[in-house]
Amino acid sequence: MAARPLTPPRRVEGQHRTDRRRETRRTATPGTDRARRAGRGRWKYSACAAASPQDRQGAVGGACVSRAAGTFLTTLRPRSAGGRFLSRCRARRPARHFRHAAAPLREQVGAPALRGRPGPGAREAAAGRCRDSPRRSRPPPPPPPQLLLPPCRRRPSMAVFDTPQEAFGALRPACVQLTRAQTMENVARLQAHLAAVSASALQELQEYVLFPLRFALKVPGPKQERLVQSVVQCISSVLAATCVKKQELLQELFSELCTCLSPPSSSSNPVPLSEELKLAVIQALHTLMHSAYGDVIWSLYQPTALPLLGFAVSLLLGLAEQEKAKQIKISALKCLQVLVLQCDCQEHRHLDEDEAQQCGDLFASFLPGISITLSRVITGDIKQGHKSTVSAIRLFYLIVGLVMADAQLARIAKNKEKLPVEESRISELMVHRGPDWSKSTAEKLSLLLHKMVEFSSVHPHWKVRLELVELVHHLLRNCSQSLVDSFSHLLKALVGLVNDENSEVQSRCKEVLQGIAEQRIVAQNRALADVLSENLHSLATALPRLMNSQDDTGKVSTLSLLLGYLKLLGPKINIVLNSISHLHRLSKALMQVLELDVTDVKIVEDRRCEGVCGPSGSLQHGVQKDRCQKKYFRFFTDEKIFQLLQQVCRVLGYYGNLYLLVDHFMGLYGESGMYRKQAAMVLNELITGAAGVGVDVLQEREVSLNVDDLKGSIMSILDEYTDQANWYLITSIDTEEISHEHSVQHSGLTAHPGGACSSVLLLSSEPHITTRTMNSNIWQICIQLEGVGCFAAVLGKEFRLLLLSALYPVLEKAGDKTLLISETALGTLVDICKACSYDSLQCLINENSDYLVNGISLNLRQLAHQPHASQVLDTMLRHSDASLLPLVEDVIQDVLSALDQSYNNQASTFLGVLHSVMTALVQWFGSSSGEEHQQRQTPEWWSGTLSQGQQVVTRQEVEQFFLDYVRQKQIAEGNLPDTGDEEPDEVLPLAEPEPNNSDTEGETPLPSHAQLAKDVMERCIHLLSDGNLRVRLKVLCTLAQKCGDFLRQRFSKDVLPKLTSSLLSQAPASARAGPVYNHTLAFKLQLAVLQGLGSLCEKLDMGESDLNKVADACLIYLSAKQPMKLQEAAQSVFLHLMHVDPDSTWLLLNEVCCPHQYEPPHISLRPVKLSGMGRQRNEFTDNVLLLLEKLQQQESVMLPAGTQEASPP
Amino acid sequence: MALPPPDPQFVLRGTSAAVHTLHFSCGGQEPDIPTLFSGSENGFIHVWNLKTHRVDTELDGHGRKSVYYVETIGSKNRLLSQGRDQRICLWDLAEGRTSVTDSVFTENVGFCRCSLLKVAQGRWLVAMAAKALEEVQVLELPSKTSVCTLKPEVGAKLGMPMCLKLWQLNCGSQPLLLAGYEDGSVVLWNLSMGKVLSQLVCHQEPVMSLDFDAEKAKGISGSSEKVLSIWSLNEQQNLQVYKTHKLVNAGISDITIRPDKKILATAGWDHRIRIFGWKKLKPLAVLDYHTATVHCVSFSDHKNPSERLLAAGSKDHRISIWSIYT
Repeated sequence: MAARPLTPPRRVEGQHRTDRRRETRRTATPGTDRARRAGRGRWKYSACAAASPQDRQGAVGGACVSRAAGTFLTTLRPRSAGGRFLSRCRARRPARHFRHAAAPLREQVGAPALRGRPGPGAREAAAGRCRDSPRRSRPPPPPPPQLLLPPCRRRPSMAVFDTPQEAFGALRPACVQLTRAQTMENVARLQAHLAAVSASALQELQEYVLFPLRFALKVPGPKQERLVQSVVQCISSVLAATCVKKQELLQELFSELCTCLSPPSSSSNPVPLSEELKLAVIQALHTLMHSAYGDVIWSLYQPTALPLLGFAVSLLLGLAEQEKAKQIKISALKCLQVLVLQCDCQEHRHLDEDEAQQCGDLFASFLPGISITLSRVITGDIKQGHKSTVSAIRLFYLIVGLVMADAQLARIAKNKEKLPVEESRISELMVHRGPDWSKSTAEKLSLLLHKMVEFSSVHPHWKVRLELVELVHHLLRNCSQSLVDSFSHLLKALVGLVNDENSEVQSRCKEVLQGIAEQRIVAQNRALADVLSENLHSLATALPRLMNSQDDTGKVSTLSLLLGYLKLLGPKINIVLNSISHLHRLSKALMQVLELDVTDVKIVEDRRCEGVCGPSGSLQHGVQKDRCQKKYFRFFTDEKIFQLLQQVCRVLGYYGNLYLLVDHFMGLYGESGMYRKQAAMVLNELITGAAGVGVDVLQEREVSLNVDDLKGSIMSILDEYTDQANWYLITSIDTEEISHEHSVQHSGLTAHPGGACSSVLLLSSEPHITTRTMNSNIWQICIQLEGVGCFAAVLGKEFRLLLLSALYPVLEKAGDKTLLISETALGTLVDICKACSYDSLQCLINENSDYLVNGISLNLRQLAHQPHASQVLDTMLRHSDASLLPLVEDVIQDVLSALDQSYNNQASTFLGVLHSVMTALVQWFGSSSGEEHQQRQTPEWWSGTLSQGQQVVTRQEVEQFFLDYVRQKQIAEGNLPDTGDEEPDEVLPLAEPEPNNSDTEGETPLPSHAQLAKDVMERCIHLLSDGNLRVRLKVLCTLAQKCGDFLRQRFSKDVLPKLTSSLLSQAPASARAGPVYNHTLAFKLQLAVLQGLGSLCEKLDMGESDLNKVADACLIYLSAKQPMKLQEAAQSVFLHLMHVDPDSTWLLLNEVCCPHQYEPPHISLRPVKLSGMGRQRNEFTDNVLLLLEKLQQQESVMLPAGTQEASPP
Repeated sequence: MALPPPDPQFVLRGTSAAVHTLHFSCGGQEPDIPTLFSGSENGFIHVWNLKTHRVDTELDGHGRKSVYYVETIGSKNRLLSQGRDQRICLWDLAEGRTSVTDSVFTENVGFCRCSLLKVAQGRWLVAMAAKALEEVQVLELPSKTSVCTLKPEVGAKLGMPMCLKLWQLNCGSQPLLLAGYEDGSVVLWNLSMGKVLSQLVCHQEPVMSLDFDAEKAKGISGSSEKVLSIWSLNEQQNLQVYKTHKLVNAGISDITIRPDKKILATAGWDHRIRIFGWKKLKPLAVLDYHTATVHCVSFSDHKNPSERLLAAGSKDHRISIWSIYT
């Protein structure tokens, strides 16, 4: 509590210092600076400039110093205890003498400090070994950050005194003064003078200046804390500007500084040291460590120095853990880092192998203490700030990486070497890093690491997470064998951080992963691969549960983890895959996660709009359309999750044994309907991945893929997909379709005894076909279609060979009535086009017509497939040209013979095909007369009937045909007219001159297309009596156009009353019904009648009374209460009526609802009253207004503008 | 209940004329593409790639006159074809060439298919109907030297030869010729002596096709009537009727025993292909696909038995390919 108010200002101060430090750094790094200055000194004082080694420099420099010191000391002689070694100084061995001189001082001044109790950290640091060492031998001390020095000293411009002589003159008084009286003022004075001395000069006078300062620290008795602090700071500044060139000086300074940190044990109730002092000492230690080089510093790392080192470590650890001030914590950690020779700054040379080994041996003693303390710091209160955590993590991995380095452990002898007897006490403190030790240490570290990783992987500050990445990187690089058990956690953290919210963490993490993969760390380390696969296994086990319970963000991270493991395993994935239980877990997890949501009714209800555009229209459309309908999954919604899952599968496919995987997932595909969709999805992605398409991996696979293998796998999957049992599924409850589909399954059952079990599986669901089932089936087909697209993309032109079996089924689905399926199939076709480099869908279809014809012909042989086959033919015809006539001819014969055998069921399907045949023939052969024909047939764009092409293709034939037909029909109906003058007028204009006609009836064989047309028409004769209302109306329409009068009579007498009455009676029912009504037979009847009636009326040119009947019957269907489709159909009736009789239709509609008031143009005319005027908005309003608008448009086109006003009654 | 007959595996279209003869060449190793040769009424020989199921090459060498026999000589790069232009052509198809290297003018106006037999390395015998009505001529290829001319005895009234089958019991033994004649008899000829060894009247109508299994010394013949006749050759080189098989519909245009001698296929005028077990002539299947007379049937020579195919060519311009398992 007491420390609290103090903290803020202190921190500010610290920052100031830091800033200053930075400033100095910018001017010149201390190292180079120092080196330069040292060099300068050498130039001045010695002739042997060419001799550069440090020791030479030291010796020469030392000589100079000794001379200067001699002079200095002479003046001191009378009162100084050091006076007695004046003569020895002259003997040019100043350092030794100095030390000897200092020794008695230390005995007096430092004695109490030596007895100082070791910090609590020491105990842990040495884990019992080092605990007593400070007491038993010389107590060791610590160092501080290299900065923190008054900036002025570093500035050369301030160095007034460049030569040692001048400097000596300037410094001597202050030193003398300080030696006499150890006061703050004196220290400050010395400090001030130091600022004016150049570094090179100071180097010469280093020991001379240090002497009074050290003396001040050693003066017995209680000392003012602030004095100690300023002395320590002053020492720091001297050290920062100079090099320590003697081992003894280093060790003594080190121990003296450490002593300052440990509170005197004499007082029973020790007053804690001030934070400023601690900081100053730490920094001084830091500076000290940086001012010593090579062998000098190395002396601290001899086994004999272990106790000293241990003491410093424990002190610093204590500070790092227990201090509240961040600055101290961080400084202590930094200092420790320097102490274990892992400083970040560039000045230090790298340890060579042997040195590292030696250090490792030495630091192994501290490892338990350091690691435990650091782990406490790392997992400590977040309020301590990220910097200390970051430093602690860094220190942790540096020391662990050093001590547990695989390279070092590998060199350790099995048994501990016997050290010489004199060192046996020390050797007790030393750890032997044998296998047992490393094993047990690794276990303990694993616990610590686990805790740390858990804590810091979710640390709010990104720098901590970044440092964690570094930790994993460092340890993985250095200790992948010794710490193998920890990697379970470490890799988990690493892989998890790939998706860190911070981009820097993310990119570094990726880099590290990449590095791991590139160096084949996993690939070469079986144990690590085992760890990973173990992780994978447990994750796969937990995956379904996690997917169920986590939110989307959680799922993303879980899946990234999965993906990361797989990527890291890389080529070693096969270890996992070869284990049945692994593969099983993984695949089941994928199956569950990828479960689709099949509740959407819309998927089932969305139908492809038929009619005008037809398959060809949508084909065009499909080319531009962006493909791939979004899938809805049961367990997630985020697109990113799906992408991750895709990647998972692709990575599997990329590295894994493709045969094994395909086989396994094919097994799942066949195993249960529940897994089928997911398995297909996985298979698609596997293949994509295996081909290396769109897969993001860390390393290349070892064996590149064999195209034949890929092709083999694709072919077997394709066979399975397009197998009858998997390709023809119930996707609609449309009665027509359902009967087909069912028979398909039966036939599938018989034709493929091998596939019987799967068919049975589907059959069992027959009685209750729910929307859910249909939705699921639709998705399955779509996924399979997408798969075909993938395969094409993967194989490229090679896929052309597979078109033989693949194109037909896809085209079949392109004509499917379910919107989703047809669109997906179109997407697949586009993919195939691209992959096989066809310019367009037309090209694709055109160039592979032979394959298609084959499929069509074979499928026509089976009743159940006929509708599909005819759809494909239809599509094909639209995209072929005359060159294919021989092929088409061939298959049309098949169609006709199929039609012959199944008038009952399929007639309307085939009629459509035959219509397109005729249209195609017109296009190919009848272009010249086509225009003429179109001029005559003004508004017939909507007539989706057989007749369009016929007249044009073979006029004589058509004429003959209809003449024949009418006669036959009349005879058949027992309604033989007296004369032949019932012959249709409409046909006559088309007729060629009679002679021409008779000519062609001769023996000359008709051209093949004409023959074909004739064949087609002959079939149509029977269709009028077809049982299916739709077919009948269609045929009626066609006939009506050709032979109006006769039919008109018959129609108004027999047919119309029945139709209108049925419409009227059904109307209330449909108005009440809900959406399910759309699937009833009644609805379909209504729809068929309404759709056909309009065109029929127009074709037949019906009389007014009949038209009125029709209009009345249809009017009620304009009600908004009717199902939408019926409304639309009713609208179409009225649109037709408008063509026939616009005026009466206008009137009729206005009677229902009249939007305008009609002002009479002259007062003498009576105002117009229509019953629809001023009515409230009702159920009919919308549709009527729509129709009136259309009427208006139509009129404005037909009549010159402005005259349409004249239409009222 | 028996399984319903399968559908064709594939149907080859595009000959634009009736197909009269078929010959597989599928024995090659991997990079070799399995091939089917077809000869059609318009005089073209089509070389089908059985991987893409498309025509690779179209050979035109018989003056647009019907081609009714195609056979490879040695490798699939050398082809022999016989057409209604009264010529037998030898083709060189190597490296994409499509040239006729040699031809033999048969002067025969009938449509009797010739028969080819390899007698030694690089030496073949070919038997063909000769200019004179009842004669059969045997040539050696590639030298085109006449080996013998087989003339029936005066007054035998065999009529024209309708079908021929050269065979030898084993390599190096005496080649023999079986010939089916217009009068319905099958005659076994000794080539070296030019003598009839045995004659058997199997049919009331002309023999349209025959095939012979040298291992079992048994042969089968079909005619325009409703009967298949199986006959055997005893050790005295005498032909004997072994069995007859009644058919529902009359007319057999081609008979082929599968190289493994397990089953045989017939091409029927009733548009159907019939499959029988060769041992007991047990009917196995009726393959119904064509819409006109089937002219020829042929089995493939794939190395791998599971890939083996049956092809049938028909008047309806199509070639149907079937996968007939065991």
